[in-house]
Amino acid sequence: MIRVAAVGDIHLGPGSAGVLRPAFDTLGDCADLLLLAGDLTRHGTREEARVVAEEVAGLPVPVVAVLGNHDYQSDQPDLVARELAAEGVHVLEGDGVTFDVRGVTVGIAGTKGFGGGFAGRSATEFGEPEMKAFIRYSRACADGLGRSLRELRTRGCGLRVALTHFSPVPDTLAGEPPEIYPFLGSYLLAEAIDEAGADLAVHGHAHLGTEHGMTGGGVRVRNVAMPVIDRAFAVYHLSPPTD
Amino acid sequence: MMSVENLDYRVEHLRDRLAREDIAELGVRVEARGAWVMVWGTLADAGSRAAVLRIVADELEGVPWHEDLTVHRVGPPGAAEVLS
Repeated sequence: MIRVAAVGDIHLGPGSAGVLRPAFDTLGDCADLLLLAGDLTRHGTREEARVVAEEVAGLPVPVVAVLGNHDYQSDQPDLVARELAAEGVHVLEGDGVTFDVRGVTVGIAGTKGFGGGFAGRSATEFGEPEMKAFIRYSRACADGLGRSLRELRTRGCGLRVALTHFSPVPDTLAGEPPEIYPFLGSYLLAEAIDEAGADLAVHGHAHLGTEHGMTGGGVRVRNVAMPVIDRAFAVYHLSPPTD
Repeated sequence: MMSVENLDYRVEHLRDRLAREDIAELGVRVEARGAWVMVWGTLADAGSRAAVLRIVADELEGVPWHEDLTVHRVGPPGAAEVLS
């Protein structure tokens, strides 16, 4: 059994340094890895990223992150990623990482993802250049996630987790105004997850949403935005499927 | 000409300001309901809640409003969810 801890939307900055560290210090007792589902900062500044990096520095479990839209606000997501990587955080965008956990190869595939909406009510790649660029970007994120999940399967992972900031399903957005769903996620992420296969999908972004959902293909989805889970992280126990 | 008060515009101006100011808060829901404005959601800490309330009071001056803003907990979970 593999123990996956996850949280998103922690929005740390100089004024909140150390707030989560007491809880994170318990991870060695209850989890095998920690997933950070984006929006780690408020404005995506180097100073804020440094606070996040120090909050997870030296933890007894590997830390894997994707960035969120807040982490892009200062137009320097690469700088944010570098600050996190300097403290050993694996920052994913269209790629994956594996860990050996008690003999099981656990793979995490990640992308920030983007919006566009959900089946039957989604934007299409048509019209103005801005509209086409919007959907092409969302599709590129989803393609990167699918490609990474397939690579993890090829590498023999016993368990695979899809980590995003934007939501792959509308289920976990319940509580948000339906009119803004297209800004909260995209069915393209769920399609990529279902086509490539995964044992769990974790996302953040929707502060007013709900924790539990599922893709059309039956992959469990969890919204781990901190305002939703109302604690420093959630823990999910996963067992490798038996053939 | 008499000015027309439109709550919808006041609501959007408040949402814009919550995103634009240092608090950068996009996770609070703001809606006009009849003659009132409702503001609710969960914030990271008491300081963020106070900052949001200050902006709401300033931006909605002269408009009656209610709030249900809470602060989320930062402790570890009590139990894990078993998924398989």
